[in-house]
Amino acid sequence: MESASVALGHEHEQHGPPPANRSSRVDAQLLGMLLFIISEVMLFGAFFSAYFFIRVVAGNDWPAAGTALPIAVAGCNTAVLVSSSLTMHWALVSAKNGNRFGMRAGLLTTFLLGATFLAVQINEYVHLGFAIGDSAQATIFYGLTGLHGAHVTVGLLLLSMATIRAFRGHFSPTEHRGVEVPGIYWHFVDVMWIIVYTTLYVL
Amino acid sequence: MTVAARLRAPGWYRAMLSVPLGIGFAFALVVPLRALSHYKPVVDGDAITTVALISTPLAFLIGIGCFDYWFRWASGAPTVPEDHSGHGARSWRDYFRVNTDHKVIGIQYIVTTFVFFIAGGIMAMLMRAELAAPGEQFVDSNTFNGLFSVHASLMIFLFIIPVFAGIANYVLPLMIGAPDMAFPRLNALSFWMLPMAGILMLASFFAPGGAFNTGWTSYAPLSVDMPLGQTFFNVAVQFAGASSVATALNFLVTIVTMRAPGMTFWRMPLLVWANFTTSLLVVIATPFIAGSQFMVLLDRALHTDFFNAANGGDVIMYQHVFWFYSHPAVYIMMLPGFGIISEVISTNARKPIFGYRMMAFSLMAIVILGFTVWAHHMFVSGMFPWLRVPMMITTMLIAVPTGIKIFSWLATLWRGVIHLRTPMLFALGFITMFTLGGISGVMLAVIPVDIHVSDTYFVVAHIHYVLFGGSVFTIFAGIYHWFPKMTGRMYDETLGKVHFWLSFVFFNLTFGPMHLVGIDGMPRRVADYAQHFAFWNAFISVSSFFFGMSLLVFLYNIVTSWRHGPKAVANPWRAHTLEWQVSSPPPIFNFDEVPTVVGGPYEYGVPGAVHGVFKEKPAVKEPAVAAD
Repeated sequence: MESASVALGHEHEQHGPPPANRSSRVDAQLLGMLLFIISEVMLFGAFFSAYFFIRVVAGNDWPAAGTALPIAVAGCNTAVLVSSSLTMHWALVSAKNGNRFGMRAGLLTTFLLGATFLAVQINEYVHLGFAIGDSAQATIFYGLTGLHGAHVTVGLLLLSMATIRAFRGHFSPTEHRGVEVPGIYWHFVDVMWIIVYTTLYVL
Repeated sequence: MTVAARLRAPGWYRAMLSVPLGIGFAFALVVPLRALSHYKPVVDGDAITTVALISTPLAFLIGIGCFDYWFRWASGAPTVPEDHSGHGARSWRDYFRVNTDHKVIGIQYIVTTFVFFIAGGIMAMLMRAELAAPGEQFVDSNTFNGLFSVHASLMIFLFIIPVFAGIANYVLPLMIGAPDMAFPRLNALSFWMLPMAGILMLASFFAPGGAFNTGWTSYAPLSVDMPLGQTFFNVAVQFAGASSVATALNFLVTIVTMRAPGMTFWRMPLLVWANFTTSLLVVIATPFIAGSQFMVLLDRALHTDFFNAANGGDVIMYQHVFWFYSHPAVYIMMLPGFGIISEVISTNARKPIFGYRMMAFSLMAIVILGFTVWAHHMFVSGMFPWLRVPMMITTMLIAVPTGIKIFSWLATLWRGVIHLRTPMLFALGFITMFTLGGISGVMLAVIPVDIHVSDTYFVVAHIHYVLFGGSVFTIFAGIYHWFPKMTGRMYDETLGKVHFWLSFVFFNLTFGPMHLVGIDGMPRRVADYAQHFAFWNAFISVSSFFFGMSLLVFLYNIVTSWRHGPKAVANPWRAHTLEWQVSSPPPIFNFDEVPTVVGGPYEYGVPGAVHGVFKEKPAVKEPAVAAD
């Protein structure tokens, strides 16, 4: 995380090059994360293009004949992930207000909810009854959910860093970007899941 | 230092230890998994290599020390305060370390990319040797296919795209009055991912079955069925792509948040505008090639059905996804060059850029239109027929903003006081050659013409006119232009001019005749050809060898000038932009005081006009946020 040296500003002197002129009110770390998310959206876009070609252009059945997708279970899982966005927001608001308990509890809950989502998803993979190479529909199903799962994993990694640091006494009402930036990423992962869920399971 | 301490500290010792660990990780992951899944054979070379191709470069990056700071940060441990030993370069050894100084990284980029440029050039020479006469001369057709594939991939992913990132890395923060890039550690990581990609591509020659040989486009399903070398390409593109996205993100954040006081968007030099627009393209488009190569990789490694039509896959989809990146990629390879040319022409013609705002707007127009033309690469692919005509129209439209730029440069030259220094010669050479390449580009946009010359040498001629006569000439112009700033020494003007004229003449003698044999129907990407084409191919091959040798003049000039050239003054070209207002090479953090920008960057000939002034920094109310 690039917010590193800034987040630790209160622990030791500023190091690295001297401060530059700030030519924008936008924070560098936030802008960096937003641009990264744009590029992530496009990566999903590539896989959604594949989905479009396989389902619409090639005209394959959806889901593949003889298979079914657990819409209800995945729907509950969606609720789990959406609620984790709410707890993430709670953590950030707490951090901004100097509520250390709220920040720690919020981060930890978010992490646990995210881990639950991932565990349910893996359990679903085990019981789906079709494998990634069985058909193009299976391929893009696993491709999109797997790509999303990889993003959840990265999000959990970022959250675990923020959580560890929160429990080791970092972050303050003035310096909370270490919570905010992973939080933005986590919201992105969440919104992306809603799109993935809608296109793969519901439609 | 003891050996144990060296192995713990970031650097080459730890990196060399990490490489076998990375390979070992691939064994430890693949073999038990295959044993548990009852796959035969348990020890499968292809599967282990596929994982090792990803894990080994990552292990190297960890070993060399790209992630040390972040690991400490992530675990909540106190980060090591930088004592600035990681900043700046005191000897050549510092260029072989993870360095966070944008000036060091810029030079690391440029030198590394030129190494791959030379490697790709040698492959081109081998190809021309093979093509000097009909029949088989030196290499068999499989090796030939590998040569042109690796040649193109190196030139595109390891030379043209990153060398622009290197030049911009050096001069862009200076131009906007910033002490460094916004994310210096990410910048270092971006650089170090690059040699990983290049080494993977070169290493594919040692893979069983030879180097990847499906061209740089690596069309599925052909690439799915190819031997192991193809995997090297799939993974290498991921590293190069990640490197270029990270750099682009860095440029965008730097330009938005770190401009000097008074440096509004409409006072930015056009090189900064060019890199701003290019970076937008990179951030938006590059994930699509990553996606396409992930899909090929999955089809190869896990036998998925993205491109398996028998199971419902769609092979045309590869080309759509691939070209949705790779057409914008040609602008990624050209827009930074436009920026360099604007700097060089304005400075050497001693005139303000004609139509400065239109120059910036046309860059933005190219970014937007660039996303609407991808399928003109697919006129003969069997895609939706209704998509052809819209793509033809947008392709012709994109010639308009490009034309605006060409005419603006010509208008800038009009009645200028023209100094024909080497960078200016390359800039003028660029304008003529790129216009020719642009015209053949418009020809190729016309569907019937495209169908006639598809996969012929006409396409080879076109791409080399825009990428060599276009991009590489701008690269040479940029290198000569900023050589005094980067090295603190002057290059040899006579040798520079010799280099220009040799490359200009032999470039045309090499690629000009390719138009003729192309229209005649000589297919590209084939090691052998009909007797009918023998004369022109012999002619092209001989020209190409002289063309290749012209690079030796450049290398000799650069190496000797860097070592023994006369010392450069701060502003040898009397340019106005900020990078010339500091010493050559610039001080370690670029500016002892942040300059204030008071005017446009190209007010040449305007009495008393200045771009930036140095005065006491105005008091800042809120504490300025760290620039790293």
